[in-house]
Amino acid sequence: MPFLNHGSYRIRYELDGPAGGPAYVLVNGLTQYSELWGAYRDALIARRFRVATFDLLGQGVSDKPALFINQDDHVAVLHRLIGELGDGPIFLSGISFGGLIALRYAIEHGARLSGLVPMSCFAELSPQLLLIGNALRTGLTLGGTSYLQDLLLPMNLSDQWLKPLLDKLDSVKRQGWLVNDVYALQNLMESFLDFKPLTPLLPSIAIPTMILNGEFDFLTPRALHETLRVEIPDSALVIIPRAYHAFTLEKAELTADLLARFAEDVMAGRWQGNKQVLIAPEDPGGALTPFPDGYDHLRAIPVQRMAT
Amino acid sequence: MSAFFGPVEVDGRVPPRQQTRVAAFLVSAHGALARQFGFALPATFDAAWQTELNAQFYRESEIVSLLTRATAWIPDFALASMAASWEMAWLPAPIDGIADHGHGQAIHLAILAHAVHAAIRPAALLPMEANADDPFAFALRRIEFESSRLLQAQILFLKGPDLVPFRDAVSAALEQRHGEVRQLWREVLGSIGISVANDTKP
Repeated sequence: MPFLNHGSYRIRYELDGPAGGPAYVLVNGLTQYSELWGAYRDALIARRFRVATFDLLGQGVSDKPALFINQDDHVAVLHRLIGELGDGPIFLSGISFGGLIALRYAIEHGARLSGLVPMSCFAELSPQLLLIGNALRTGLTLGGTSYLQDLLLPMNLSDQWLKPLLDKLDSVKRQGWLVNDVYALQNLMESFLDFKPLTPLLPSIAIPTMILNGEFDFLTPRALHETLRVEIPDSALVIIPRAYHAFTLEKAELTADLLARFAEDVMAGRWQGNKQVLIAPEDPGGALTPFPDGYDHLRAIPVQRMAT
Repeated sequence: MSAFFGPVEVDGRVPPRQQTRVAAFLVSAHGALARQFGFALPATFDAAWQTELNAQFYRESEIVSLLTRATAWIPDFALASMAASWEMAWLPAPIDGIADHGHGQAIHLAILAHAVHAAIRPAALLPMEANADDPFAFALRRIEFESSRLLQAQILFLKGPDLVPFRDAVSAALEQRHGEVRQLWREVLGSIGISVANDTKP
């Protein structure tokens, strides 16, 4: 199990796939650990990508600072990891909290990247997200990691995914509960206490950017992704049908295919962001279709977009 | 080496030798906290935060009481020397950059309590096949849950505005204390054939 050093802390990472291939770096969400990217590792390596995953500082097998974690540390760790990947094309993707770190990296070190894929992501804390975040933090402090998982599972996953697991949720939660410590998760959550919105900085992201958002994402709804689409010049917003916040877990095969196709399109010069709004296929390999012209993609009912 | 207790007994209980060694360590750590909170507890309160001292004192005492009753104790002659080293480890240590003795004592206690409550996760040692009705297993779950609640007072204090001028000193002392407590915990577990999962420190 290799480790990177970040000051006195050690960061556990994993690097697989052909050394000369283009690389995908995948950044965990808040309660994730790098093993959850296993399906992505396999799928992307099969498409000749090199894949880097890691546990954030404070997560999983990486060291867990006792009192404070600064979001700058995550960007610095990511920079260190990407420094290990050589000079080839690098695509960076992250989900939720990890998407935010990926955005920050792209703002600060965009020249090192060939493409960016923020997933279930946000650049600012809307009132809803702020209050949900506060409530989740209270849930963590009062009920521990297990209760936080109880809150997140139904919020972020579909009935179809949950139904067959209802009688074995404890085993679904167990690994996340084992590797994540309350104080460390709390430190990660409290790194938002001095969070500054990234929105004014988004236009500086000049690289191709594919924004992925689940159709039914409750935690980070469409409007938060719309900010990214509007502000990042070479971006497209792709809506994942029937998906919730944690679609990377639920629809791994589809999402890995979208990641690979995006990178292949960028490297072949085919990518055109144009701030499009697209709908992903239901299954891997299917066609992406434009959101129906004239309709408002921010609404959940078919409302025609107001002329601006 | 396994990351969990075991192999568990036929009825799913944690082997008594493992129970005894782990319970002895937890009694030592939480007992030390109970004593130190007890010493810090004034007879009458003149500030709201002192109510938290009262809560911490009784919760720590409850943990000790719980373990003494829920553990299947067996004779363990190695405990005498081990317990002596544990008790030495809980003693107050000076914190660089904190000159005021009373302030230093309060910070020491919060740091020790943070390290014990955060770094020791006894319920995470229970294997899937552990008997949920075993009082020892239940006690460990309760202790881990209570620890995460008790920890909140230490987090509030150590991250609070009063200690902002001493943030680096406090953080360094806390990291050091976490390291010491983890090392003791690792040694205890190693002595009963358990390697701590999710612990990267050499």
